[in-house]
Amino acid sequence: MTLVKSRPLSALSLIVRHEARILVRDRTLPLVCCLLALMVGYGLFVGLAQATLRERMVAQVLKHEQETQTANTGTLESVLAGRSALVPFSNPANPAALAGTLAGRFATIPNAPLAAMAIGQSDMMPNYYRISYLSKVQFMYDTEIENPWNLLSGHFDLSFVIVFVLPLLVTTLGYNLLSAEREHGTLRMLCSQPLSVATLLTGKIIVRMLALLAIAIPLPLIVLLLIRPETRGAEQLLLMLSWSALITAYTLFWFAVAALVNATGLSSSTNALIMVALWTTFVLILPVTMNLVVGLVSPAPSRTELASRTRVATAESLREFENLYSADYRYASDPEALLVKGERIEVPSRMRAFFLAKQSVDEKIEPLLQAFDRQLLQQQRLVDRLSLLSPAILVNEALNLISGTDTRRFVAFKDQTEAFHDEWRQYFSPRILESRAMTAQDLSSLPQWHWNEISASETRWSIWRRTALMLALAFMVGGVALARSSRGSAGF
Amino acid sequence: MFAIIAAKDMRELARDGRLLWAGGLILVLLLVALAAGWNRQVQLNNERSAGQALDYEAWLHQGYRHPHDAAEQGMHVFKPEPPLGVFDPGIGPFVGSTVWLQAHRQSEVKFRPAQDATGLQRFGELSPAWLLQVLVPLLIIVIGFNALSGERERGTLRQLLSLGVPARSLLLGKAAALASCAGLLIAPLGVVFAAFIVARLPAGERLDVVYRIAWLAAAYGFYLGLFVFLTLAVSALVRSSRAALVILLGFWVVATLIAPRTASEAVNLLYPTPSRLAFDDHLSHDIAGAAGKAWAAHFGVRSQWDASLPLSKWGAALKVDDEAGYGALDDNFGALWDTFERQQRAQEWVGLVAPVVALRGFSMGLTGTDFSQHRDFSTAAETQRRKIQDIVSEDLVEHADPLGNAHFTYKAGPELWATVPPFRYQLPTVSFALAQHWASLALLGVMFCLSVALARYAVSRPLMR
Repeated sequence: MTLVKSRPLSALSLIVRHEARILVRDRTLPLVCCLLALMVGYGLFVGLAQATLRERMVAQVLKHEQETQTANTGTLESVLAGRSALVPFSNPANPAALAGTLAGRFATIPNAPLAAMAIGQSDMMPNYYRISYLSKVQFMYDTEIENPWNLLSGHFDLSFVIVFVLPLLVTTLGYNLLSAEREHGTLRMLCSQPLSVATLLTGKIIVRMLALLAIAIPLPLIVLLLIRPETRGAEQLLLMLSWSALITAYTLFWFAVAALVNATGLSSSTNALIMVALWTTFVLILPVTMNLVVGLVSPAPSRTELASRTRVATAESLREFENLYSADYRYASDPEALLVKGERIEVPSRMRAFFLAKQSVDEKIEPLLQAFDRQLLQQQRLVDRLSLLSPAILVNEALNLISGTDTRRFVAFKDQTEAFHDEWRQYFSPRILESRAMTAQDLSSLPQWHWNEISASETRWSIWRRTALMLALAFMVGGVALARSSRGSAGF
Repeated sequence: MFAIIAAKDMRELARDGRLLWAGGLILVLLLVALAAGWNRQVQLNNERSAGQALDYEAWLHQGYRHPHDAAEQGMHVFKPEPPLGVFDPGIGPFVGSTVWLQAHRQSEVKFRPAQDATGLQRFGELSPAWLLQVLVPLLIIVIGFNALSGERERGTLRQLLSLGVPARSLLLGKAAALASCAGLLIAPLGVVFAAFIVARLPAGERLDVVYRIAWLAAAYGFYLGLFVFLTLAVSALVRSSRAALVILLGFWVVATLIAPRTASEAVNLLYPTPSRLAFDDHLSHDIAGAAGKAWAAHFGVRSQWDASLPLSKWGAALKVDDEAGYGALDDNFGALWDTFERQQRAQEWVGLVAPVVALRGFSMGLTGTDFSQHRDFSTAAETQRRKIQDIVSEDLVEHADPLGNAHFTYKAGPELWATVPPFRYQLPTVSFALAQHWASLALLGVMFCLSVALARYAVSRPLMR
């Protein structure tokens, strides 16, 4: 090897070429790359399967909604024409029935275009709510059905591969960057050349990093672009760019750590131990401990108290509308009483009582429910701050943000659902109180659910900020590593 | 001879930084996990028993009211935390603990703690069980990977063998040293914690918990013993310490991290979980079908609100309707829960490559935080709800139905409320858990024996290569 000091770049490219040749010949690199490709592929498959599942659910729910709407219109027509028998709970001319059991309304949250990239919280949080006049305590706690054991194990999705497995592969490739050269006795030889240890380290890292990134980044992006047309928009391409930058930064961080560990001049085994210890700390121990800390510093309000208060509120509203609840009920034997007369219809007083009682329960419970959401957002803010301590948390949060499966988006969905639920009730409230019959025109102008996507610019900023942080961290560690190695403390 | 080897190894490990740092960290984490878990459990149990008592009290003193409206208010019941829940929260964060027993609505267990937590929850829960399942095996690997290969590399193995040390003593001595290091870390804290838990329990429940602790100790013993012998086997079999370390760490990553996730993905394909929508649709379809049949059989009508079914039969009709639904509820929830249990049982086979999966199931089961015990509670709560429902319907048939259209003017009093007994839930005993999970323990035992056999084979080969 003849190296010329005045041309460090050519030295670097020489190292890169040699290193690549060695790594391919001793089969380490092909093996690691195959492993990575396999896991990325599987992770993406799992993510796609979950995203499809959720998409199908939303589609099914919307179909359900359409069918109910058509059925209600049909029934209303035949009721008004006097063709069909009257049933108090399923007469769409009755506003209380339409607000409740006949509603068939759903609030749904669509998948974000890149949902397949991280499952995040989407396997636990519901992606639709059934809207009726029922109280929030009756429908807002519904969760998706999933085996708790599987929730505990977690999914093998792309974000797991990146956050947990990628650093381990970096460790496999990088724990003996310098120590192996030293143990083989070749480090002395290399240092006799006009070549700095920093250049050597950089060259070795470039090869390894490029190989890993050449699999981890293009593979999922190409697959997604090919099979998911919705990922081809400008906004999504920008997100994909930030995703790539984030992964690059994360990989760079772990290589920088490997470089730093190698610069201390210890043996390969010790290096491997240190790397595993760091990985365990950053990826396993810190997140789990932070979870505990977040729960302690900013605990969720008591669900037991919520339960007791709900019961008290229900009892109070039962008492409040006592007279309506216990009024005479002649409709079963006298269905004629439920005919539409002019524009009016008699709303059975028990049905009116149900409507009013649920409304009053909500009024009483609302502040407490809001406290839960507020607390969750508070916890999330705390997590944002604590994520500075562990790159794994930082990247995990950012990946969820990119895929739209983060806590914030689901809390926003809950908020918007609550607002829609209020709107739904307000629409029916005067009609029920004034006994106004529903007309065919009313049926086509019922409140419509519309999901407002959370502000894209905010999300984008949030992702880029994390990416920048990750990069800064990587450069900091890398800088220290290079400085140490060029001071000659690599200890050969 | 074996004792001398063990003593020498332990001294060496004590002087080495690895054990001190890693062990110290695990000890601190164990203490934190125990303290936090204990604090949470005491708070939850107090809150819940108070809440449940309060709800029953309110039920008894609700004054005069139509029984159907009383059932609308209903009452809450709460799942008690098992005494060992501090050690292993199991599926706790992902299932609810509160059931509102109301009329005409299957009681679902609500409020999953994970819903009130951020995405960090998905990294795992810091609990003593997690530490023993994930981090202690890593510690064993880290302090033991060069137990034999290191001797060979330093040339001390040659000297040892020249002294005539039998390979068996060498293996046992090394194993004893590794096991004692792990044991010294866990055992004192474990014993103190166990004594503390047992002492605080009422005398009647103590024996059950002591049995549970003993079984848990056996399972964790097998599991950690497996890692001890596996580490020694690999250390004896491979050429260099570095290779031993890489192989062992690879196994650890695959077995504790990757296998559990892959397993749960795989069984989901094998036994798919229905979506909430599909489940709800199926359930309401079945209930409607059963109710329709019951209407026709009892009253000769097609629907609940048929004009030929007067309000004077409302209570009787309600009763028929409810009872018709029980079968559909049992079938649908039973099928769902069976799916969950089948999924878990299928995963336990993964224990053959990833012992942590088998251990996790067993540990949760014996702690009382697994799915079968959650199911037991759900069933008990539903039984209580049906009890309330039946009492209410009987009373309606007897008193309200004769009133005709004035049906809803009927009001029952405290005598009726008092006929509903308070909800008393007894946690299942240790034999219930063992019946569910004995296979996991057997699997762990077999795996342990295999690892011992592997280690013996490894040292029976010529050690000097």
